[in-house]
This record gives sequence, C-alpha cells and structure tokens, in this order.
Amino acid sequence: MSELHTPHAGDDYAPDDDVVALLKRQHGDIRNLFDEVEACTGAERQDAFRRLVRLLAVHETAEQEVVHPYARHAFPGGEQIVEDRLAEEKTAKETLAEMDEMDTEDPTFMPRLVKLRTDVQEHARAEERYEFTHIYRNADAKTLATMAKAVKAAEAMAPTRPHPGVQTAAANVALGPVAALMDRTKDAVRKAMGEGR
Amino acid sequence: MTFNPLEQRGIPLDRQLRNWRELNVDPIDPDRCDPYTRCRIITMNGIEVEAILFSHQLARHTPDPEIKRQLARTRYIEAQQQKAVNWLLPGVSSVLETTIAYEQVAVDLTAWVARMEPDPYLKQAYEFGVLEDFDHLYRYANLYEMIEHRKAESIVDNLTEVMPGRPTKYHHRNPVDNVRDPYDRNVAHPLSKLHALTIMSTEQQTMNFYMNTGPTYMEPIARQLYQEIGLIEEEHVTHYESLVDPGETWWEQLVNHEYNECYLYYSFMQQESDPKVKAIWELHLNMELEHLHTACDLMRRHDGREPQEVLAPELPNVLTFEPNKQYLRELLDTQMDLTTLGAGYVREAHERFEKLQEQIHGGEQPPSERVMAQHDDMFGREYRVQSEGEHPDPAMREK
Repeated sequence: MSELHTPHAGDDYAPDDDVVALLKRQHGDIRNLFDEVEACTGAERQDAFRRLVRLLAVHETAEQEVVHPYARHAFPGGEQIVEDRLAEEKTAKETLAEMDEMDTEDPTFMPRLVKLRTDVQEHARAEERYEFTHIYRNADAKTLATMAKAVKAAEAMAPTRPHPGVQTAAANVALGPVAALMDRTKDAVRKAMGEGR
Repeated sequence: MTFNPLEQRGIPLDRQLRNWRELNVDPIDPDRCDPYTRCRIITMNGIEVEAILFSHQLARHTPDPEIKRQLARTRYIEAQQQKAVNWLLPGVSSVLETTIAYEQVAVDLTAWVARMEPDPYLKQAYEFGVLEDFDHLYRYANLYEMIEHRKAESIVDNLTEVMPGRPTKYHHRNPVDNVRDPYDRNVAHPLSKLHALTIMSTEQQTMNFYMNTGPTYMEPIARQLYQEIGLIEEEHVTHYESLVDPGETWWEQLVNHEYNECYLYYSFMQQESDPKVKAIWELHLNMELEHLHTACDLMRRHDGREPQEVLAPELPNVLTFEPNKQYLRELLDTQMDLTTLGAGYVREAHERFEKLQEQIHGGEQPPSERVMAQHDDMFGREYRVQSEGEHPDPAMREK
C-alpha cells in the first residue's frame, strides 16, 4: 500500500452536508480498517482492531438512530427495507460482540474477521442500494444536512484514528466496552437531532 | 507440445447446454482475489459479448433460415458462456470498483498486445490508445477515493501504476481522425488479427459498460465523468475496429472470432491462479473448439476456402496479464503529446483537433479536470500510485 493516508469521513474537507455521501465514505473507512487489521500483526493488529470495533459500533448506532427511523416513514416500503437492514446488522453485531474482547492472536480470530467483513460489506452495499437511494430521492437538502450533522456527532464519541499503543490501552479503558459506547453514541445522536429540529 | 485448436475436438454442441445450477457460479472475493483473475473475467466477458453481437449481425444479414438456426444454436451457448463468466464478478462490488478493474484491463491488456504486436502501424495504434486508458484509470481512481474513501490500489494491487497519462481532455478528437487504416488480410500476421479483435471487443464492452452504468450514479461529478470517458470509448471503438480488414468475408470473420476465443481461453487457462475460475476457462475452451469447427464448416461451404488459409499454423504464444510498468513509463516519456491526423499521428494540435476541442469543452473545464479539482478540495492532494518513481514526464509531476 502507498503512504497516502485517506482520512476518515468527517476528517476530510468535504462539506458533509449530505448524510448519504458521508455514510458511503464511512463504509469505505470501515473497509480500509478491515484491510489494516488483516495486514498487520501483534500489538498493531490489536490496535487496528480496537479502532475497527469502535468505528463499526458508532457507525451502526448512528445509522439506527438517524437514517433508519427516517427511512421507515419517508417512503412506501421503507418499513420493510429497514427491517431487512436491521436483520443484517443484528448478525454483524452479534459477531462483533463475540469478538469485542478477543485476543487478535487467537487462532479463530482471522476466520471470524473474514466472516464479519463479508457480513458488513454485504450489509453496506444493501444499504447503499436499497435504502440510501430512497433517502436521497425523498429527503430535501436540509434533512440530508441535519442527518449528516447527527452522524458526525456520533463519530465524535469514539476516536478511530491510529495512535501509539500506550495511549490506546488508556483510551480503551476510558471508552469501555462496545455496548456502553453504543449507548453513549445514542445519547449524542439524539441530542444532535434534537438541536437540528 | 503446441496446441492446435483445428486438430482438437471439444464437447459436442448438443451437450453444451447448462442448467441453472451449473450457471450459478461462485463469484470471486473482491478483497482477496488475484487482480488479474478479475481482469481475465472482464476480458472474456467482452469477448463473449462481441461473439453474441457479431453472431446477431451475421444472422441479420443471412437470408438462409437453416444458417440462422445454426447460428442461433451456437449463440445461445455463447450467451450462457457470457453469463457464467460475467457472473463471476461479485455483487458487493460497486460500479466504480468494477470500472477501475476495466481500466486495469485496458492498460495491461493493451500494453501487452502493443509489446507483442509484430506490425509497426498496429503497434503504434495500441501504444497511442493505452496512454489514454492509463489516464482514465487515474481519473476514476481519484473519483473512487472521493466517493468511497477507498484507494484504487486495493483493486489494482500495485500491479499497475496510477498516475496521469495523456490528459483525458485531449482525447476528444474530430471523429474522422479516429479512423485508422486496416491491416491487409492477405499479408497480416495471424497474431495481428487476433490482437485487433481482442482489443476491439474489450473496448466495445467498456463503452457499453460506461454508457449503461454511468447514469446509475447520483453524484454529479461521477455522472459527468462517465459521460466524458464513455464518449472517449466511442472513439476507441472507432479507432480499433478500423484496424480490421473489412474485406474479410462474414465467414472468415466468424472463424477469426471463434479461433480467438480458443486462443484466449487457452491462454487464461495456462495462467489462472483461482482453481474454480480455471475450471471455467477449461470448460469454455472445450466448448469453443466445437464452435470453431462449426464456423470452419460454414466457411468451407460458403466461401469455398479452407480456414487454414487464414488462420495461424499454430496457436501463438499465450496472451498474458502481467505488469507492464516499465513499458508504460517509456510511452509516458515519449508519446504523451501525440494526437491523430487522418490515419496517422502528429505532435502538434492541428486545426480540426482544436475546433472540436473548442466545441466540446465550450470554454469550460471538462469533468476529467473538475474531478481532480474536487478531489483536491477534499483531500488537499491527488491520488496516485507511483511505485517505480516519479512521473517520467516532468510536466506531469504533482505540484
């Protein structure tokens, strides 16, 4: 891989006034982190994996709190489309919960990661094709921007950039388990959405 | 031992039909596949699409219902082959990811063909074209990072460099300057005929792909870039199809098509790293051998000639997907400023070229330039993969 670094969604200079564009870029960020986990070993892998878990947790929570509720009511068939997405997310979240505390050197780690990656990628494409298309078609510019703001508020809940190992351990303790992170993300998103109205 | 398709028998045509289960192929894994496996899939899809479209055109020019029926039988199998091949591509890939793989095909396939082409005029045609596909790869790679935050190297895997070629904005030429002179079917090397057919077919598929998938994008810059590069693919199809001698009879062309399919499936079978995909190349080769024999019979009957008169005495050296970095760098160093004039090439922008440029750009920057500006706004830099050092052309180095 080249030395060029692609910043995470929200950290580039995009205006971020469109939730669909923002989430599509975040799907790429997640895929990049999977690449990173697969490419390194030892402490580096552990660190990359923690960042992946956090980004996934925050991303999925933000989608559940921001875009899915909108999609349910914004267009005919939205309810069923969201149910299908939630079923996909459930599978991924279960694997994620199982792997949350896992040692990345565990021999079952890589097979599980590959399975998680496949589930996450299929889910992301399904969202882009079956849900986001409708959101884009139905939401006005202001709604897209408000939802983008809420997703960005969620992101602020968990640092997902690389940092030295010593800080990582401390940061992990501070962030706590994935479940707690998801709860705090929900609160942050709800606050941001409240402000947007 | 050399492989001579004319002396081999394959699977009888009436045993070639596959059921749904057999057509339901396992797609490749976009994150773990050999990038050249994906390139071979895209190439063979283009070849099968051309086989189908050529057979339809032939049928439309054939009054004899018995021949129409015979063409329909083979064509139905070819349509199944196209399905089996193209359905190896995974549903999780985005259009843009597949597009970048199409451009990797265009770069490494055309570069290989240019390197192997014995005829200097034809070689020049491939060398000219490849620098344009090379630039398309660079533009799409920058769009990809903008929309999906992914790097093109996750697709092309450092086998192909990503940096400017001949700038896309200069690919828009007066259509008459896209028409080349054809080879002479009586003296052309048999390999030259296969090369022309292969590149014409893959560029045609690329044109079809962009013209149909471009509007599925919502992002304005993506829609516009597909429109621009899609129009250049029209020029490329004109460029490459005009290399083929139009004096070849329909039956001779049919034989060349079938022979080329044997050549390519045989070539790819030799180098395929994915065993499941390799099994498909082998199966399809065995089908093509029979299609070739059927075509040869038609040529004997209708042209009163032996196919051996127009085909190679033996199968040429296998066509190979491999990195062509140094070769491309030589071209970047020497052929960036070429354009076409009539059926030849010049280094100066001539009146007809400039007139078309003025008309199509309408005094504004085209999408291929705006995509770079928008990428820069988003990241403060360009996306390139220059694994072998800085750009050979100083004017093309990143500012």
